[in-house]
Amino acid sequence: METNSNSHSRRHFIKNVAALGAGVVATSANQAVAAPANILSEDRKGVLVDTTVCIGCRNCEWACKKSHDKESGNIEEYSDRSVFKQFRRPSAATYTVVNEFSNPKNPALPINVKVQCMHCDRPACVSACIVGALSKYEDGSTIWDPVKCIGCRYCMVACSFQIPTFDYNKAIEPNINKCDFCNERRKAGKLPACVDICPVEALVFGTRSEIIKIAREKIQRNPERYINHIYGENEVSGTSWVYLAGRNFYELGFPKLGFKHAPGVSEAIQHGIFAYFVPPVMFYSLLGTMMWIYKRREEFNKEAELAEELELQSEPESEVEEL
Amino acid sequence: MKKNVFLFVFFLCLLTSLGIYGFQGGKSATGTQKQEKPNIIVKSRQVIKPDNKNQNKLHAKCTLNCKTCHYCEYPTKKNPCLIYCPRDGMVTVFHTPEECPEVITLDEMSVRFGAVVFSHKIHAEMSQMSNGCQGCHHYNTTGPVLACRKCHEQTRIRKDLNKVDLKGAYHRQCMTCHRQWSHTTDCNFCHISKVPNHKQKIQEKIIQISGKEHPKTVEPNKLVFETSYKKGKFVTFYHEDHIKVFNVACNKCHWDENCITCHDPNNKLTHGAKGKNISIKTKKTFDEHHAPCNNCHKQDHCNVCHNDKELEAWDHFKVTKFELKPHHDKLACTKCHERTSKFQKLNSDCNSCHKNFKPGKFNHNVVALKLSDNHADLACESCHVKSRFKDKPVCKECHDDKEFPKSLPGEKIAKKKK
Repeated sequence: METNSNSHSRRHFIKNVAALGAGVVATSANQAVAAPANILSEDRKGVLVDTTVCIGCRNCEWACKKSHDKESGNIEEYSDRSVFKQFRRPSAATYTVVNEFSNPKNPALPINVKVQCMHCDRPACVSACIVGALSKYEDGSTIWDPVKCIGCRYCMVACSFQIPTFDYNKAIEPNINKCDFCNERRKAGKLPACVDICPVEALVFGTRSEIIKIAREKIQRNPERYINHIYGENEVSGTSWVYLAGRNFYELGFPKLGFKHAPGVSEAIQHGIFAYFVPPVMFYSLLGTMMWIYKRREEFNKEAELAEELELQSEPESEVEEL
Repeated sequence: MKKNVFLFVFFLCLLTSLGIYGFQGGKSATGTQKQEKPNIIVKSRQVIKPDNKNQNKLHAKCTLNCKTCHYCEYPTKKNPCLIYCPRDGMVTVFHTPEECPEVITLDEMSVRFGAVVFSHKIHAEMSQMSNGCQGCHHYNTTGPVLACRKCHEQTRIRKDLNKVDLKGAYHRQCMTCHRQWSHTTDCNFCHISKVPNHKQKIQEKIIQISGKEHPKTVEPNKLVFETSYKKGKFVTFYHEDHIKVFNVACNKCHWDENCITCHDPNNKLTHGAKGKNISIKTKKTFDEHHAPCNNCHKQDHCNVCHNDKELEAWDHFKVTKFELKPHHDKLACTKCHERTSKFQKLNSDCNSCHKNFKPGKFNHNVVALKLSDNHADLACESCHVKSRFKDKPVCKECHDDKEFPKSLPGEKIAKKKK
């Protein structure tokens, strides 16, 4: 009797939880849960990089190192163009690099492309980080937190642009290195270091909506100069840094990416499996019910067996008696 | 009893996790509701250069494309949707390099680097082959020529992000050419480094530049181009004739000359006409490449220019036996010849074109000679024997001691403009 009442209450509980879960799922649409609030704020900042204007002076590289207290050396050394022979990526030593590509229209005017973190609207690194060391902020920036990071380097694998880098040379407390959109400088009311130093203003800092408007207008006014594509406007559902170019972006070292945000699939699976804890609850409740049914059946069987045994026991006795 | 405790803990965990997820889900829903507006695809458009004659008329009647200044379809007074600083056709003030300032010191923003002493006159001379003044002074409707700092702000943190700041404006003008032929972005190429005797160095540089002129460009007489066109490999171009005979202004063809046409990539000055060391060729489309010729030779067949061998200079007299000098040499070809596919041969008699050249009706002023009263009433044949107006008029019929053109039957006047 006691076991019966217990199983009864459990069944009720499972029923209630299932109903509650279904209700929650029905009321809220299937939104990405890991995204912080209001990351698509209208005021979020961005930078427009006009690669047709960039002259490849690499002053941005120097300014970036300088403002992040990295070994920067003398600015005059940066006019050395022999570094362009190799395609470079941001590293632990520098958060931004400039690469050079040939210009089919005029070999004397090569195309220079600055590379740094794109500060995606839906960053894959933030989604991949298991301890929340990378966060997306309302001002458009994606920033790494050295206190929380455990150095798993999942962000490096997740990033569509291969931006975060690891201090492989440092044995103790190696860092993840990535452009932080000059967080400190912007807090002080200054422009990011690279934007500030650019001699030709190839980098324009402003609200993302405004710089995209400027980019569109530039394409409209100079259809011969620019291709009709703003890289980062829609790529991986938008990035804070957007680019203009006179040559196909995929020939300029930019990855060919879809318009869906990178963490989309993984987050959908993850959040699908654990959506508001309903699927696990359902799963375990199913298991529980099955176990309960099985157990009950076992009990019934046992009772039946017991009864049979009892009957069997009584019968031979009678036989014996008869005998 | 133990079972009950376990169930209670499980239940508690479930409730808390449900609460957290529900809360986060609600929050993110508000975040994602602010979606971006859909994209508007921008279509390219043509910009037509303005007609100078119409500059003073109402701007709506001007032949300028509306979209040079307005970005929307229907601009109104309230919402003119003006494009910031339109670049094309917005310059009406022109000066010769001699009228310009010779040297300009740019030092208003020298923070990290020192001032730049800019040889304005030399650059103005060079710019005559590439867009002229408006190559740099791209927005100058009326009045004095504006300096860059008049429009471009000095600060990078500003409201109007459309317009590049002063630092950017300067560098964009300079670096586009300078990095082409010097292949460097070395700041000290233009900037005077900030040393203690900075001011003295600026003065030295000014003195060094002052009085200097850009060497005169050597104008070639004839150029023979070897092309890859199979049906006519050679193009003979009589440069001098195009200037002197056809009166083509330099910038009609040389309107967008590349710096490296004259300044070779090894940073040595060469003369474009000789052009031996120039290895870099800019890639142009078929139309761009032929544009300097096609501006005039619109309807001509390829073989007008392309030929198997070098062509002789075109000479009107040699071809047609009609001397253009002195009255017809300044005329455009189409003034006499009707422009069809090929120029048609014309009757060389004056009367065939000049319908008003009839006795008694001819206004002699047309040929820049006003006949004196006593000559005006004479018959044409009295001087122009057998009505051959091409030949020298004869005075000997009446005057023994006079001869044309030493003495004239009237006074010379300015030639009447047609």
